[in-house]
Amino acid sequence: MDIFLAQLLNALLYAAVLFLIAGGLSLIFGVMRIVNLAHGSLYALGAYVMAWGLGRLAGESGSEPVYLIALLPVAAVAVGATGAVVEPILLRPLYARAEEYQLLLTFGLLLILEDAMRYIWGPTPLTASPLWAAFGTLHLMGATYPRYNVVVILLGVLTAVLLWAFVFKTRFGVMLRATSQNRRMAAALGINVGGVYVQAFALGCLMAGLAGAVIVPIQGAVLGMGVDALVLAFVVVVIGGLGSLDGALVGALIVGVVRTVAIQYFPELELAVLYLIAAVVLITRPAGLLGRA
Amino acid sequence: MSLLLAQGLRKSFGETRAVNGVDFRVEPEELISLVGSNGAGKTTLVNLLSGLLRPDAGQIAFDGADITALSVGARIRAGIARSFQLVNLFDQLNVLDNVRLAIFSRDGVTRQPLRLAERDTRARNEAMEILGEFGLESKWDTPAAGLAQGERKLLDVAVAYALRPKLILLDEPTSGVGTREKGVIMEAIASVVRERFLAAVIVEHDMDVVFTYSDRIVMMHQGAVLAEGTPDQIRADERVSAVLLGKG
Repeated sequence: MDIFLAQLLNALLYAAVLFLIAGGLSLIFGVMRIVNLAHGSLYALGAYVMAWGLGRLAGESGSEPVYLIALLPVAAVAVGATGAVVEPILLRPLYARAEEYQLLLTFGLLLILEDAMRYIWGPTPLTASPLWAAFGTLHLMGATYPRYNVVVILLGVLTAVLLWAFVFKTRFGVMLRATSQNRRMAAALGINVGGVYVQAFALGCLMAGLAGAVIVPIQGAVLGMGVDALVLAFVVVVIGGLGSLDGALVGALIVGVVRTVAIQYFPELELAVLYLIAAVVLITRPAGLLGRA
Repeated sequence: MSLLLAQGLRKSFGETRAVNGVDFRVEPEELISLVGSNGAGKTTLVNLLSGLLRPDAGQIAFDGADITALSVGARIRAGIARSFQLVNLFDQLNVLDNVRLAIFSRDGVTRQPLRLAERDTRARNEAMEILGEFGLESKWDTPAAGLAQGERKLLDVAVAYALRPKLILLDEPTSGVGTREKGVIMEAIASVVRERFLAAVIVEHDMDVVFTYSDRIVMMHQGAVLAEGTPDQIRADERVSAVLLGKG
């Protein structure tokens, strides 16, 4: 029982982080029809900002849970602000061109960000495990489980709820959904489409930054983490449906559970199983489980 | 003073002179029908007036100010709204949200973006009131995709009206619907225009509709204004009947 519970929580932890990454990716695609390959690097950027900030605040010795509260918004907003600069300057001139140009540009941005992080923070991974340890453990139905991991799960749930409310309940959300459905018509109504785009892109990047920031105490900030995360985020959106927030949530849960089970029983096939599921979804429902065809 | 005054408008697409030296005016509270065969330049003229296209030459003044260089958004703020020939609704949003969107847009994107749309009772009440004027209030919760064609046409006009224009440009608001529905749509449009003291320019092919509802009729032919006048004057104009009967 205790193993089962711990594994369930692990699956949810993984799903929460994946939802943050894939949800942002899907939001950007849903509104702007851009596949943002730089999304993985933005996630890594969030991780590096968080790890660097923790290093500055706590130094080598110990850490306090309060640092998390202080630095999470800083890292997330820093990445969101990066997005707010990238969209109008780099992406906007390419909207009228074929999609290949956007892929090329965002892939170039991925490489540039990756090198920039190597240049700024060096090739050695930054860790922040003292913060993870500072949260202590939780005793649940006979099982012992890291309290920090539960915090991440709750943060994922909270973000999903807030994002849902933002998109489906707010005044801006109405305009966001309208712009995603019909850009030309939205412009004809006098909606500031450029303003909607930059805010949607920044929000998607902010989610990636938040994901990177929360993962740091668990696994640190490492070069290459962005590409790994991007690949898994694509598996999530392929399963759930690119452009659908519900799809990102369902996809993240499926990938989280499957990966946890795979690691437990046949660890060498972990990624193969995920790709297999993605391939089956692509063949049977090309738009994803909850995507619009 | 005319509400809208366009002078010497020209717009070409390659070799085609879609609008070729058109003078056009709209008086306050006037309902004008813009008629003419396909390719006469009616939709191009509407696109020039609403800001979707920029003229190659000519000026447009609205409410005493030169708006020739203004964007669509700036013209909406100045008081010009339009609907499209092909109904352009947000199909996945419900009827209420389609109208509410226009109200939010009118307010600007940045005004209270995080406010819950449902809590914005002013916008909701205003949207419901507008739906009432167009007989759509019972459908407020239906996705726009689930409406009948006539209702879609009405909603399209309601969305333009929700921008609170002084001048509303309607491109074929009754195309693609049956005769009985045409009457319903035109009655709704005419009553809103009259009761709210709006001016309207309606592109329309059905001459029965045109003669029934218009204060003035402007006939276009091959990119230019061929004739204009009251319904009686137009009825008596031989050039008009020649074009309408295909002899133009």
